[in-house]
Amino acid sequence: MRLNQKWQVAAENELLYHSWDDEFVVYNGATGDTHLLGLVAAQVLLKLQQAPADTVSLAEWIAPLQQIEPDDEFVFFIEQILTDFDSLGIIEHTQL
Amino acid sequence: MNVSALTPPELFSRLKEAGLFLQAGPFITHMQTSIRSVAEGIGLLYADYPLAEDTGFADFHVHLIPPANLRRWFRPQVLFSFDGRIPFKPLPLDQAFPMLEWGMNWCVSGHSHQYLILHAAVMEKQGGAVIMPAPPGAGKSTLCAALINRGWRLLSDELALINKASGALVPLCRPVSLKNESIHVIRRFEPCAVLSREVRDTMKGTVAHMKPPAGSVTQSHVSARPAWIVFPKYQPGAVTRLEPQPKARAFMRMVESAFNYSQLGPQGFQMMENLVDACDCYEFTYSNLDEAVAVFADLKLPVR
Amino acid sequence: MKAAHNLVAQVLRHPESAVSLSLAEWDLLIRQARHADLLARIYALLDDQGLIDSIPAKPCAHLESADTVVKRHAQAIRREVLCLRKALATIDLPVILLKGAAYLMADLPPARGRIFSDVDILVPKGQLNQAEAALRLHGWASSHHDAYDQRYYRIWMHELPPMMHLKRQSVLDVHHNILPESARVHPDPVKLIEAAVPVGEDQSVKVLAPVDMVLHSATHLFHEGELEHGLRDLADLNSLLRHFGDSPSFWSTLESRAQELELTRPLFYALHYANLVLGTPIPESVFINQTVSKPSWLLVAIMDALYGRALAPVHPSCSDWLTGTARWLLYVRAHWLRMSPWLLVHHLFHKAFLSQKSS
Repeated sequence: MRLNQKWQVAAENELLYHSWDDEFVVYNGATGDTHLLGLVAAQVLLKLQQAPADTVSLAEWIAPLQQIEPDDEFVFFIEQILTDFDSLGIIEHTQL
Repeated sequence: MNVSALTPPELFSRLKEAGLFLQAGPFITHMQTSIRSVAEGIGLLYADYPLAEDTGFADFHVHLIPPANLRRWFRPQVLFSFDGRIPFKPLPLDQAFPMLEWGMNWCVSGHSHQYLILHAAVMEKQGGAVIMPAPPGAGKSTLCAALINRGWRLLSDELALINKASGALVPLCRPVSLKNESIHVIRRFEPCAVLSREVRDTMKGTVAHMKPPAGSVTQSHVSARPAWIVFPKYQPGAVTRLEPQPKARAFMRMVESAFNYSQLGPQGFQMMENLVDACDCYEFTYSNLDEAVAVFADLKLPVR
Repeated sequence: MKAAHNLVAQVLRHPESAVSLSLAEWDLLIRQARHADLLARIYALLDDQGLIDSIPAKPCAHLESADTVVKRHAQAIRREVLCLRKALATIDLPVILLKGAAYLMADLPPARGRIFSDVDILVPKGQLNQAEAALRLHGWASSHHDAYDQRYYRIWMHELPPMMHLKRQSVLDVHHNILPESARVHPDPVKLIEAAVPVGEDQSVKVLAPVDMVLHSATHLFHEGELEHGLRDLADLNSLLRHFGDSPSFWSTLESRAQELELTRPLFYALHYANLVLGTPIPESVFINQTVSKPSWLLVAIMDALYGRALAPVHPSCSDWLTGTARWLLYVRAHWLRMSPWLLVHHLFHKAFLSQKSS
C-alpha cells in the first residue's frame, strides 16, 4: 500500500451533494449512482474535490475536525474509505 | 359521460368493438377486449370514471386478447397487448382483469418519464399528502385502503407521480390492489367497501381490487403538496409505533423505490432532494388498522 | 388492408407540419414513432425548430418522456467511451468509434434523440487479440459461450462476439471490418482506419471520416436483415447527409470513396431511399454518375416494393398484407449478401436445428 500516493476525484465525475444533520447523499452524474456517506467520508470527498491529497495528509486534516488523534488506526480508516471510493469509480490515483 | 352511463351490454360491446377511452388521472387508456370478466371488472370498479372518446387521443392502447380457438378449451390464456406488442408472458384467462391492472401500471411506469415515478401509495388530507413507499408485504396497500375509507383522498396505491416543474404529486387514482389476507382484513374493516371478485393462484397469490372512493375519482385533476414520507411495516402483534427517520436514510430508501430515478439523471437527484427536504420522514410499524388510522389523523403539517 | 399514412416520415421531412396535426393524427404519430424508436428524434427535431411549445400537451408528454431517457443514455455512453479509452490506452490503441457512439462523441445530428443499445469500435485486425485481452483486463467479457457461435463469429464475421462489461452490463461490439469476411464485397478496413479523424483535441478517440461514416451507415442498413429499425437507421443517414452535404467537396469525395471501397451499390440504395422516403436533398449529378452501380429498373421496382414496406414503422397502421413477406425477403437477401450460399445453408440449418432443440 503506497500511502503517499495522491488521490483525486476522477475528472469525468460531476458530484451533487445534500446533507441532513451528519449524513450526506452524493449523486455522481457520470455513473448515475447515489451514495449515502457519513461525515468523515463526506469530508474526505469534499477535501479531494478542492485538491488531490494522499491518505496521511487527509487523515491529518480530518482528525482535528473529529477531535481525535490521526493515529495509525484512523489512517487505516481513511484508507478504507478511499478504497471504497476507488471501487465506486469516484476517485483515482493522480498521474505521477 | 362516465362509465356508469353505459349498461353492461353496452359496455361489453364497446370494449369488444371500438374500445373504451378511459380517463384515469392524467392518462387516457384505450382498452379493447372481448373477455367478459374484464368488462365486468371495469363496470364495477371504474363506474365513476369519465370517458374520453371525443379527443381522438389515447396515451396507451391496450388489448386483452382471449385465447385462440383450440386453447379456448384447454387451460385458456390471456395476452396483454400494448399497441400490438406483447410485453408479458400469457396468464391464465381467469387472471385477465388483474392483468389489465398490472399492464396499465407497466404502461405508466415505463413510458412516463415526464414525471419522477415512485413505487408508493399516496393519500391526501387537508392539503398535505403522505407518500408511502414500501416493498411488497409491508402492508402498504392495506394501510392505504384503510385510510381512504377514513377520510383520506386517494391519489394512487401504487404509483406516485411527481411533476418535474412544480414538485407536486399528480393523482393517478385507480382501484386499490389487495392481496391474500389483506382482502379479508379490509372487508372486516369496512364492510361497505366494493371489491372485485377474488382471483386465486396469481403470481402474487389471491388478489382483489377495491373501488376507490367516488370523491377521489372526481378530484383526479387536483395535485397535492408532499408533506410526509412514511415507510410502513406491518408486523403481526406489533405495538403501533411512528418513529422519525433520518432524512438521508429516507432519501436512499426513496431512491430504491423509484422506477425512473436513474433515467432522470441529476434532475432526479434534485427532485428527490426537494421532496425529502419538504417532508417529515417516519418509519411506521403497525398491526392494528384503527390505531394506525388514529396515528395518521394526528400527523401535523411540517413547519416551513 | 390498406397501409395508413406514414406520419413519422412526414414529420421527419417537414417538422413544421407537426404543428397542424389533429389530436387523432398525433395519436397515430406517437404510436408509429414509438414502434420505430423515433419518439425522441421527433422531440429533438421539433425542439431544434423551436416548435415544442406549439405541440398539444398530451402528445408532447410522450416526446418529453422519450427525450428524458435519451439524454441520460447519452451520458452513460460518454462514460463508457472514457472507460474504453482507458482500457485501450494500455496498448496504445486509439478508440475508433462506429455508429451511434461516434455520432454522439462527434456531436453529429443523428445523435440527437437516439438510443443505441451498444458501443461499436473498429480495431485493426492485427491488434484484435491484444485489444480483446486489454478489454478483458478492464472488465469486459465475451457474452457468447456457445462454441458454434464463437467459431461462427471468429471465422466468418467482421466482429468479435459481443462483449459485456461485468460491472456496468454495457455491451461492446469490437469490429475489425464493416462487413463480414464472408460477404461478396470487401471494403479495406485499413483505409477506414487511416482516414479516421480525432474527436476534438483528443487524439485517442476517433470517428470515421465523414464519407466513410456515410458509407458505413449505408452498408449497415442495406446489408442488414433485421429491418425492425430500418426507418430509424434511414433517419440517421438522412441527418448525416443533410449535415455533411453542405460542404461542396463532400459529394464528389463520397462517389470516389464508394468506388474505392466497392460500396457503390449500398450507396445507391442509401441515397435512393433517403431521398424517396425522407426527402434527403441529393445533387442530381450524383445519381447520374452513379449509373455504373445503379441496378436495372426492374430490380429497383422490386426493391422499392420491398423497402417501401420494410422502411415504414413496424406498426399495424403501416402494414399491409405484403409487409411480412417483404421483411422476410429482405432478411434472406441480407444473409445472401453476407454469406456464400454454402455457408448460408449451413448457418440457417444450424439455427433451425438449435431452435427446434430448444423448443
